[in-house]
Amino acid sequence: MKLVKKLTLGLSLVASAFSLQAEETVKVGVLHSLSGTMAISETSLRDILLFTFDEINANGGVMGKMIEPVVVDGASDWPTFAEKAEQLLAQDKVSATFGCWTSVSRKFVLPVYEKYNSLLFYPVQYEGEEMSPNIFYTAEAVNQQAIPAVDYLLEEGYKKFYLIGTDYVYPQTTNLVLFEYLQSKGIPIENIGGGLRKDADGEVISAGKYTPFSHSDYQQIVAEIKAFAASGDACVINTVNGDSNVSLFKEIAASGLTADDCPIVSYSLSEDEFRSLPTKDLVGHLGCWTYFQSLDTPANKEFVANFQEWLKTAPAGVQKEGRVTCSPMVLSYNGVYLWKAAVEKAGTFEPEAVIAALKSGISFDGPGGTVTSQENHHMTKNVYIGETLEDGQFEILESFENVYGEPFLKGTFMK
Amino acid sequence: MKKILLIFGLLAVLVPAYSQDQATLAALEMLALGEGSQAEILEELSDLGDPYIKTFIGGWRTGEVYSYTISDSETIVLLRVSEKFRRLSDNEIVDLAEDDSRLKKIRPARKLRKLLKTITDTIDLSSPDSKTRIDAALKLGLSQNTVYLEALQKKLQNEENEKVRLKFEEAINISLLANAEGPEALLSAIVRLGELKSLPSRDGITNIQNKAIEAEDEDLVTACTVAVGRIDRAQKTIERWGNLVRGLSTGSVLLMVAFGLAITFGLMGIINMAHGEFLAIGGYTCYVVQNIFANAFGVQSAAYQWFFWVSIPISFVVAGAIGFGLEKGMFRFLYKRPLESLLATWGLSMIMQQLFRLNFGAANVQVNTPDVLIGNLEVAGVALSYTRIFVIAFAGVVIVMTWLLLSKTNLGLYIRSVMQNRNMASSLGIPVSRVNSLTFAFGCGLAALAGAALSQIGNVGPSMGQTYIVDSFMVVVVGGVGNLLGAGISAMGIGAVDQFLQPYWGPVMGKIIVYFVIILFLQWKPGGLFPTKSRSMDD
Repeated sequence: MKLVKKLTLGLSLVASAFSLQAEETVKVGVLHSLSGTMAISETSLRDILLFTFDEINANGGVMGKMIEPVVVDGASDWPTFAEKAEQLLAQDKVSATFGCWTSVSRKFVLPVYEKYNSLLFYPVQYEGEEMSPNIFYTAEAVNQQAIPAVDYLLEEGYKKFYLIGTDYVYPQTTNLVLFEYLQSKGIPIENIGGGLRKDADGEVISAGKYTPFSHSDYQQIVAEIKAFAASGDACVINTVNGDSNVSLFKEIAASGLTADDCPIVSYSLSEDEFRSLPTKDLVGHLGCWTYFQSLDTPANKEFVANFQEWLKTAPAGVQKEGRVTCSPMVLSYNGVYLWKAAVEKAGTFEPEAVIAALKSGISFDGPGGTVTSQENHHMTKNVYIGETLEDGQFEILESFENVYGEPFLKGTFMK
Repeated sequence: MKKILLIFGLLAVLVPAYSQDQATLAALEMLALGEGSQAEILEELSDLGDPYIKTFIGGWRTGEVYSYTISDSETIVLLRVSEKFRRLSDNEIVDLAEDDSRLKKIRPARKLRKLLKTITDTIDLSSPDSKTRIDAALKLGLSQNTVYLEALQKKLQNEENEKVRLKFEEAINISLLANAEGPEALLSAIVRLGELKSLPSRDGITNIQNKAIEAEDEDLVTACTVAVGRIDRAQKTIERWGNLVRGLSTGSVLLMVAFGLAITFGLMGIINMAHGEFLAIGGYTCYVVQNIFANAFGVQSAAYQWFFWVSIPISFVVAGAIGFGLEKGMFRFLYKRPLESLLATWGLSMIMQQLFRLNFGAANVQVNTPDVLIGNLEVAGVALSYTRIFVIAFAGVVIVMTWLLLSKTNLGLYIRSVMQNRNMASSLGIPVSRVNSLTFAFGCGLAALAGAALSQIGNVGPSMGQTYIVDSFMVVVVGGVGNLLGAGISAMGIGAVDQFLQPYWGPVMGKIIVYFVIILFLQWKPGGLFPTKSRSMDD
């Protein structure tokens, strides 16, 4: 009998331990493309998220609960993103999701998050003109990347701007905003290169030159840029995405245009992309992000060191050699910590309360400096302008402190 | 300023042999360490005009210059020359470890670099290379600074090269647009620039034109209009020739990628969706050979430059061997089943892509350009990079070789007979299965050659083949399946049409129009440019 009692006691102890453990975790979703064309970039974001969860769990978790990530693969296919988001929310009942890279994938999951009234953190620089009540944009808004870079170039004395991008929503919208902004700064239309398209009423609906995804023949465009830059003081604003940049920069380098004659500022190329680009052709060209790995602050050095340390013991499937940190990665990292702080402030994992806490303004001292969440679901953060070096890192040329994230810019610069 | 000059003067007295050098070195050291007044040092340097300044700035820019703190009061500048640190001021070797904490890599700030640029440009005006002189002159002219105007005018008198003289004149006149004394001088500068068809001056002239319109200065307006008109007409001609040359270049790329397919699909009738992956094999072979060379000889060595030329035949052999094996193991079962071959080769393409990913990673790999292919050739304003010229020449060589093989050798005769009628050829004693294997291997080898050439102008990655597969089929179908000459003509035609459409409709619309035209063309001529004539019952 005693034995039976002991057994029951033991069993109940085990059972309670189990239930205790079940209570001690909180599920969060990781929604990135781990296969297909976007996998190159998005896998890095999955890695940094896993690192962040491990770091938080090692320090006691969120409100005493361990983070349990549910990783799903969007497969670079937009309907799949929506499907996987539905799965995360309906089946796994995650408290928050970190994910998406391309704007089109975000547009696909947006209605799902609104339907379930849940919470998504979006970490990659984007075109603005959006503010869903269920998404927090840790990403750079146009005025935290495109506009500071143009300000810098104007200050340097550049007078002619050539706009070139990949043909989809982010470059098109960003360039339209820049087109308005440049005009408001007194740049005449004929000094904005790349061509304009107007609708029937004569209103400009597209500014700049666009190429399809994975376009590989940039001879014509480079010849055009060369003629455009012949009279000096010209620069190029580049929103070309992915592989095409290899062909573009090889053609530019072969044409004899140097970064001293005509600098190119690229909005889609960070340290992580440099791993598969001919960096020697990019030296001297510019980048603008809210974080660079070369930031010389104790917080950043610690972050980079911790990440490299984590990689040594990282789970299978995580590439371990030659890794760098970049802005989208750090913005993912910041997102997790902001969520943690908001949960602790709200005292609950309920998305609605967490959103309210985030809207009230929560700060986190990240590797790129302090970020503060805003009422409008964007972040106030520092912006840096850097110049590419031979080793694929940036040398920081200028920084703008605490730039307020403003998603709605179209039409605001016209007189 | 006087004080610095005095110091330099003193140095000159002390070490007469190195006087010029020492003054430059001292000024450079101060500049690098950020000591003294930057403006004064820059002025000093530009007076000195020592060619060494350019060498130093080059090294400073690429991170070969270090500051080294000896004590709190003394910091010196070191140069790293072939793994050794040398002191800037006396060129003595300083024995130091790379990770010495007192050693700091320094770089010139962007603003300073811009200021230094004009100094190096002034130095370049005396460069022995005529192209360097031209570039420097134009930059100094565009700065429209009176100081450089005088320098240019002085240099013009001693310049003997007629081409360079014209460019100097152009630079001087551009500078005069802002610095002309009196309306007549300005007018003659504008007229001269129009005669010189100077594109760099176009913006300056339109600015003057706009101001003249406001000021209602009719003479000036007319002069500007005439000059701009001349420049624009010259530019139009350059553009037309440029389009032709670029069309040739795009066409040769298309031809290279499609030529292997013209054999495997065109002659043998296999719908090979994995053709693109054989391109990738060529690209990756270059990458592997490059790494072997880098490990064996070091990146700096002269032998390393040969990696690309060595990898071209190797990529042909590697892809040929893989093609041979695949023909034996897979394709020979598919000759009579075109639909299944479509699916099977598509699957093969995915397997191969995944193998590339597993072996080389998902990211693109970098294949360097050998030094001889860096840069571009400019003839009458039309520029074409050496890599593109190489592709055009290479495509020509490959076509001639293929033509010789098919028409002048026994193997070529066998290939043609087998492709016309397998059963008949077999009954006449031709080893059909061996000919099939060799032909397929040859087609794959050609694809890899294209991949090797493409590594110089595009990216090498697991999905590089996908970019070209549609274009390849397009070229073969338009040219007429089974006709190699047709493939050549269609590639050049598509390339030229694409380049001529791009300036008007942009790359996206241009491509759509090309596809649309091809659809219409195939409606009109379903067999392509040169349809195969056959007496076979099946056709």
